[in-house]
Formats: sequence, C-alpha cells, structure tokens
Amino acid sequence: METKMPMVLDVISENIIKHGSPLALKGSEVASWAKGLNLPVKGELLFYTGGEYQMLPFIDSLVKTITHLDQGSKVFSMMMGARNLLNKTGFSPEKMYASVLAKDKDRYNSVCFKAAKVLKELEYEFCYSGNDELYSGALLYELGYLEDMEKYVQRVVEVIKKSGAKTIVCLSPHAAEVFKFIYPKMVKDFDFEIRTFVDLVWERREKLAKIQSKSVVIHDSCRLARELSIHQELRDILESVGVEVKEAAMNREWTSCCGGPIKILFPELSHVIGGRRVNELKESGSEHILTSCPYCLSALEGGLAKGDSAVIEDLIEFLYRGVKA
Amino acid sequence: MTVDFRKDFVNYEKSLNAASEDKNIRTAISRAVTSYRNTVAETLERFPHTPQLAEEVQEIKSQSMANLDNLVEQAMASVERNKGKAFYAKDHQAALEIALGIIGKGKTVVKGKSMLGEELHLREYLEDNGNEVWETDLGEFILQLRKERPMHILSPSIHVPREQVAEVFSKFFNKEVPPDIAEEVKVVREFLREKYFTADIGISGANVVAADTGAMVIIENEGNVRLATGAPPVHIVMVGVEKLVPTFQDAMKVAEVTWRYAQYGVPGYVNIVSGPSKTGDIEKVTTYGAHGPKEFYVIFVDNGRKEMAKEEKFSQALHCLRCGGCMYECPVFQVTAGHFGHTYMGGIGTIWTAFVSGGMEKAAPLVYSCLRCGRCVERCPMSINVPGMIGELRERIVYGKYED
Ligand code: SF4
Repeated sequence: METKMPMVLDVISENIIKHGSPLALKGSEVASWAKGLNLPVKGELLFYTGGEYQMLPFIDSLVKTITHLDQGSKVFSMMMGARNLLNKTGFSPEKMYASVLAKDKDRYNSVCFKAAKVLKELEYEFCYSGNDELYSGALLYELGYLEDMEKYVQRVVEVIKKSGAKTIVCLSPHAAEVFKFIYPKMVKDFDFEIRTFVDLVWERREKLAKIQSKSVVIHDSCRLARELSIHQELRDILESVGVEVKEAAMNREWTSCCGGPIKILFPELSHVIGGRRVNELKESGSEHILTSCPYCLSALEGGLAKGDSAVIEDLIEFLYRGVKA
Repeated sequence: MTVDFRKDFVNYEKSLNAASEDKNIRTAISRAVTSYRNTVAETLERFPHTPQLAEEVQEIKSQSMANLDNLVEQAMASVERNKGKAFYAKDHQAALEIALGIIGKGKTVVKGKSMLGEELHLREYLEDNGNEVWETDLGEFILQLRKERPMHILSPSIHVPREQVAEVFSKFFNKEVPPDIAEEVKVVREFLREKYFTADIGISGANVVAADTGAMVIIENEGNVRLATGAPPVHIVMVGVEKLVPTFQDAMKVAEVTWRYAQYGVPGYVNIVSGPSKTGDIEKVTTYGAHGPKEFYVIFVDNGRKEMAKEEKFSQALHCLRCGGCMYECPVFQVTAGHFGHTYMGGIGTIWTAFVSGGMEKAAPLVYSCLRCGRCVERCPMSINVPGMIGELRERIVYGKYED
C-alpha cells in the first residue's frame, strides 16, 4: 500500500534526505555563525549544532505560510509549485521565506556562537565541521521516516568521522537523543560518547562568572528531562552563577511539553499549548523563562501572548551574559 | 493502492482547533486535571504500597497477555461451571449478534458504562433492533440524551456544564429542571429506578476477570451497576479479553491499582459477580434466580485484541487499566478532550484505534497529533510506552506497512 502524507511532511523529509537540512538551508548559511572563530575541523571533541537553532526562524515562516493557507486556495497551489521546484532544483527557503526578519535570523544564528563562546570560556577545546555539518535526522525519526533515516544517517556519520572526534557535544537534546538511542541501532560501531551542552557546562560550572539577574524559571525540555534525565544539572548551573530559580508546578520529569513537536502539522493547537505552558511557568513567580532546546525556545516564543512582558531565552543565551566580550 | 491522508488531516485539524477554542472543554478539563492530581497524590500518600503493587500488576498483565488463549478457555469453563453461559466473539459483528441473540426484540435493557459498549456501538445496535436501552451511568445518560460520544473514558460528559445538563433534562423530562447538580441527579435517579425493576436485561462490562473462578470485578461509585446487574432477571457481561488475569488474587491486585489511579480514592462499590443468583435454602435444592438474575451470560470479545497481543511492540498497550491518568497529563487532551481520539482517546487510545476500533486510517491523524512528550508514561501505572508505539505506527503509516 502507498500513502500520501500531508505536504509539509514530504517537504521536510525530502529536504533532509536531499539537502541535509529540514529546510534545505545551505551549509554555508548554517555555519555562518562560526566565521572568525577559526574552529579546527579536527579534534577530540566535536561541537555539533545540527543546524537546529539556525533554522528556527524559517520553521516559523513555513508554519505561518501553512497556517494561513487553505488547501485548494491559490497560495496552496503556489506551495505545490514550490514542491515541484523542490523536486527539480531543491527548495529555496531564501526566496520562499523572504519574510523572515533579519533580527530573528541574527538572534537564532548567534545562539551557536554564544554556545561556542561559553564552552571556550570554560576552557573546552573543540572542533566543528563547518559547511559540511549535516542535520542529525531527528525529524525523520520523529515523523516515522525510519527507512529513509537509516540510509541518511550513514552520510551524517561520515562527516562526523572526518573530525576524528571521540565525543560529540550536542546543543539540541533532540540530536543527543537520536545519537544516543537511534544511531547505535542503525550504524555499525557507532561508539561516540554523546554529551549535551548542559553536561559540559555542568562539569565546569565552578568556573562560570556570576550573573546579575532577577530570578528565573526553568522550562525543562521533555527530551532533556525524561529521555536524557537532565534536570538537576540546569538548577546546579544557575546556582553556580548566583541566580535564584523559581519552580513551575509541573517541572523536571513532570514538565509540560511546549507544543513544539506538532507545530508543523497542527500549528494553531501547538500555539495554544505553548501559551498554556508560558502561563504555567509564569505562575512560578518569575517572568524570565529559560530553556535548553531549540524547539522549546521557538514554541514558547510563539506561545507568548502579544504584549506579554515575559522573557524567554535559551540557557545558552543567558549564560553568555557572563562571558567576557 | 494509494491512501491519501491529506483531507483527513485537514478535517481533523479543524476539529482540534474548534475544540481548543471551546470554553466548556477548557474549564471542565482544567478543573478535572487539578482534582485528579490532588486526589491521586493524596491517596498515593495514604496507600504508599500502590506503586509497588502496580509493578506487580504489570507483571501479571504481561504474563496474562502472553497466555491469552489459555486464559480465555479457562475463564469460559469457569463461567459455565458457575452455571453461567460463556461466549467468545471473534469480532465486532459477532459480539453484537451474540448479544442480540440473547436479548431478542422488544426488550428493555439497562446498561452500565463500558468502553467496549462504545467500541461496539452496542446501544445503537440494540435500539435499531427494536429494543429500549438506557445508559445508567449519569454521564453516559446525559450523552445518550445529547446524542454525543464520550469525551473521557471515566467522565464521559466531562465537557457538559450543569446549565447544559439542566437544559437537556428539562426537555427530556418535560418539566423545569433547575441547573442544580443535586436536583439533576435526583430526577435521573427517579427515572432510572423504575427502569431497573422493569428491565428485562442488565448489561455491564468488567474491570478485571479472574480466569480461575470466573469472577467479574466491576468498580463503580454511583451504584448504578449494582442495580443494573442485580435487579433484572438477566445479566450479560461484555468484556474485552485483555481484562483476563489468572487468579482471583491477581484480580484483586489489578482492581486496587485500577481504582487508585482512576481517582476513586476508595470506590463506593466493588461488584464481584461470578454466576446467576441462586439459593439452596429449601431442602438444599439449588434454585436459580433468587433475588438477582436467573440467567448470567459472559461474552468475551476479541475484536483485534489477540492480534495486538501477538505484536511484541504493541502487546503492552493491552495492559491499560483505563484509569484515565495519562489523558489528564496529556497537553493535547487537556485542550481538546475526546476530540483527540476516535472511540478510545489520547495517546493510548490512538494505539487502540489502530488495532481495535477504527483501524489505521482513522488512527493516522491522531498518531501525528501526539507530541510524544512522554508525560503519559510518567503517569501510567503500567508504564506503557505510548510514545514508542506512536513512533512505530508513524513508520507503518509513512510506508504503508499495514493492512486495514
Ligand atoms: S495508558 Fe496507563 S495511564 Fe493511560 S488509561 Fe491506560 S493504564 Fe491509565
């Protein structure tokens, strides 16, 4: 039997398979944050972004386009046109999403830069695959494209192997999850040590400079808290930098999902769920929300009501405040 | 053959969006969630042995599912030994026909709450075949009058506030019923009381069945099941085969874990029925139908369950106690209620939709609305790995690896 899935799934899965990025971003674009840092391409520890933070502003545009789109309308057939385009020449997000704000692009792009700076500050030495880095394929796994993933990951591993690294540090818990639990099932001798950004910071947290800030509240990411059992570490890190943490009623392994995972198929519902989580977090008494996952960051931002004064940041962005410029 | 899911997704999304804007659902569920979390936390504190008992029950369940054919056979023999009549229904149609064969036409039937009943569309079928059928669970009764389907497995009419209940009751009873909960309960009590004692047949489900004794364990608070299964001259139990466990002792463990997580605290009633009513008080001659039913029937329903039991990746879904806890913790369910579902709801309901009630095509959109956030697993007393199963279903859907 053959099945026809919603178009957005076709677009995303084909993009990953053909272009190594769910939104077909170019390697040079994904790696642009690293200009000037002169990171080596080989080393013991591989810094892995998977392009996830970099693509966030584009996901939102894709979702926005879909939300305002009635299947059967003109715009919809334009999208279909875009899909044909994808089959022939590859998807062109630059043109498609001309509406993406430069400030959003800059913000999400700089998350990787800031993460690298924080790790440097803690005296970690690492390498980065630059333009060659490929997306982990986590969405293929999430969305059920496992047969495709099995083929795709072999290419990712080739790139990783070129670095000569033994350990991979992932910024996104989704990448860490698939490297840890899925890759070993699909790739022979995938024996890399998989760490998260949070792990590494936690180990050297004593070295972090103090940060002046009012209290914060942590939004535990589902993957980080439940799959990877990382939640106390976040609190320890914040304690080390001298910041008070308020707790949401549902936290740690009981954390409420940000709604992000269904954003591409059910954007309005995802938005409602994100908004509810923002409110749940604010009930802690802090309006400064920190998370440690690209999708949580974007989904919570999306769920923030107009005019809401709450601040939502990735832990990376927050810790960068303590880094000397 | 090509199955195009695009339209289904669009329609499903519309229904989810509409539900998420429904104020009644929003208020009702958030009230229910708070009360669920509080009661369960409090009773777990009072009965701290529960999580460990739940682990024991997981083991009982997985043994039972591995041994399902034997258990069915044994349970049927036990029921017969108790002077009841036992049937096995392979599928949906067979289950309905067996029930109708016992009931016939022109009868009055009182019925307890049962998800299996929903799965089979039992009430509608019996009505279409010339019977009068009354739901006796208050929530189900409200839905019967509103011609709606349940929005939660335990609190089916969770989305209907008292004002709307008053409205539908006033119309049905043809008199002014005020939006006062006590009054609303009272009118139904009066109405159904008469039905219990004039009904020809009572139908119930069961929460657990002990194969060794043929004991059907039914947990409830309202007392409607006692009456519906005790007053009429005939009692029919319709139960899914996944409810079977080997022994009576096992059944008690399953029952306790079920009610604890199903927010009963301590349930008002636990009914244990193993056969027809009987007496030997006159000359030690056993005579059936003393005060309770003279006839007792049990229909064990498969309808896809054995198939599921055979699938290594899915058999764990049959351990579900239907406590409803996962639904309260599900961020999607919290804003859409039973709209995230077909007959069975939420993440676990999606798995059941694929195998038991609806098939993969009904399940596909539901499968993709799961966040796979995993909080249901934290809550579930059986630690059912729903997100893992959802992942497996996605793969089958994407590559068309299923038969419908
Ligand atoms: S899946 Fe688990 S939590 Fe959900 S209803 Fe079943 S037993 Fe209860």
